[in-house]
Amino acid sequence: MLNLLQVFSTGLGLAGYYALVAVGFALIFATLRIFHVAHGTVFMTAGYAFFGLHRLAGLHIALAAACALAIAALVGLLIDKIIYGPVLKRGGGMFSVFIASLGVSLIFESGFLVWSKGVVSVARAELLDIFIVGDVVLRRFDFFILAIVALAYGALYLWLHRTSTGLAIRGLTDNSELSAIVGVEVAKTRNAIFLVASSLAGLAGVLTAYDTGMTPASGVQTLFIGVVAVILGGTRNILLGAIVGAAALGMLTAFAGYFFPEWISFSIFAMMIILIIFRPQGLLG
Amino acid sequence: MEHLYYLGTLISVWIIVALAANLVIGYTGMMAMGQAAYLGVGAYVAAGLNVLLGVNFHLALLAALLVSGAVAAATLWPLLRIGGFYFALATLGLNFVFFDIFHNLGPRVEGSEGLHGLKLPDLFAGSGARFATTAALAALCFLACRTIVGSPLGRALRAVRDRPDALAALGKDPRRYQMLIWSVAGALTGLAGGLYAATLFYIDPTLFTLDASILVLVYIGVGGLASTWGSVLGVVLLIVFNESLRYLGLPSQYVGPLQQALYGLLLIGLMIFRRRGLVGEYDFRE
Repeated sequence: MLNLLQVFSTGLGLAGYYALVAVGFALIFATLRIFHVAHGTVFMTAGYAFFGLHRLAGLHIALAAACALAIAALVGLLIDKIIYGPVLKRGGGMFSVFIASLGVSLIFESGFLVWSKGVVSVARAELLDIFIVGDVVLRRFDFFILAIVALAYGALYLWLHRTSTGLAIRGLTDNSELSAIVGVEVAKTRNAIFLVASSLAGLAGVLTAYDTGMTPASGVQTLFIGVVAVILGGTRNILLGAIVGAAALGMLTAFAGYFFPEWISFSIFAMMIILIIFRPQGLLG
Repeated sequence: MEHLYYLGTLISVWIIVALAANLVIGYTGMMAMGQAAYLGVGAYVAAGLNVLLGVNFHLALLAALLVSGAVAAATLWPLLRIGGFYFALATLGLNFVFFDIFHNLGPRVEGSEGLHGLKLPDLFAGSGARFATTAALAALCFLACRTIVGSPLGRALRAVRDRPDALAALGKDPRRYQMLIWSVAGALTGLAGGLYAATLFYIDPTLFTLDASILVLVYIGVGGLASTWGSVLGVVLLIVFNESLRYLGLPSQYVGPLQQALYGLLLIGLMIFRRRGLVGEYDFRE
């Protein structure tokens, strides 16, 4: 019983990362119908940039994190501008963009493989302190992550519901053609979506690099967990769907990791297939 | 010479995989993103039977063909109700599911991650004989695919892809054709898996990851969708090109990532500039 509580707290920590990646993916998927596999690449790029700037170039940790976020936002925006834009302009559809996105992810993955030859980690002792409540070991860092997630979601909520860009985005989610007709500047909104979503993925990437470390495979892995979270939560309500899905996936990976660690990806993808078959609109859709 | 035989054998194996993938993706319009799963099933069945139970390799190949076809049918059945993009996503998920199955349940020779020690009969024993047999099988598959796509069945497949409603209006169920061609493609891919095991002498789960499925997409994407010659062309061009990278004098640890990056570039280039590939007759519509 006490073990279960421990697994639960691990799951909450994981859910924080997934929530940050998933909400950005959901934002792009729901508004632009782009299945952005390279969202995982953006996540990974931030982690590696953070590592490079802080560990190798010796930048102050906060400054390095901020630069990594900016780099992530820029990379996300450029992927859309340089790759997805031309594919769509030449008559490609959702599947073509998906394939091109896989291509982007392959290129970055091999680049990081050559550069790092494996895991990089920025872990520092201060935030990784643990404290013990009853029989459960808690990490200060997990609380830090959850606080950041709460802040990010709060800011996102305000952005989506209190600004004109947010209104445009919600319009695109419901009906993109109609929004264009009533004067939503689709191109401008699109840039905003990619910048915001990518910096959220970057935030998760920086935290992951700090915590467990980054490997060239982390991008695709985290992305697909985010995808399953989004399919689970549905995109009817982006924020609620992503956080519910991410919490469920955090628990799933924590419990699967505890009871049958060698079947984690089996559990995640089997769940994805079952969801696609029976409830593609998500549990909340 | 040995190495040339090996390359020829490898090319023949992937030609079979590409032909099968083109049947479902190019001709029938089913976006298969997880063909490596069936390749792995074939490889594990053939190598497992041969190495662990001592079954004659010819019989083991036949078993690989039949089992993969059956597995393909069984895995498609629940997916028939979903269409379009979600279908692609589900088949991609299948690839990960099968990887974990190979990894956790796949038989292995003690002290290694996979299976080795195949006992190959005369037709596969020497590298020259192995090449000749594999190439002959690939040629046979090529002819079989050409026959299929030129027959009324082939026309029905293209109708499933382009006008499923018209097919249904004629009283024919598109799903029956999807089931049929998916099983045929799964069986051929499984056969290729058995041959792949004989080519490499060693198999382990890492050969059957999503990367292998993406490789299949690159091959037929470059060669051309809905074209049997395209399947052959893509495989030959890319494997020969890949091989030439080895002679650039790069440190060996850079060759793998470089290939991967080039495949990525190819995928992007194809999607932007030429979605039907070199000699394709259909493009990635969606």
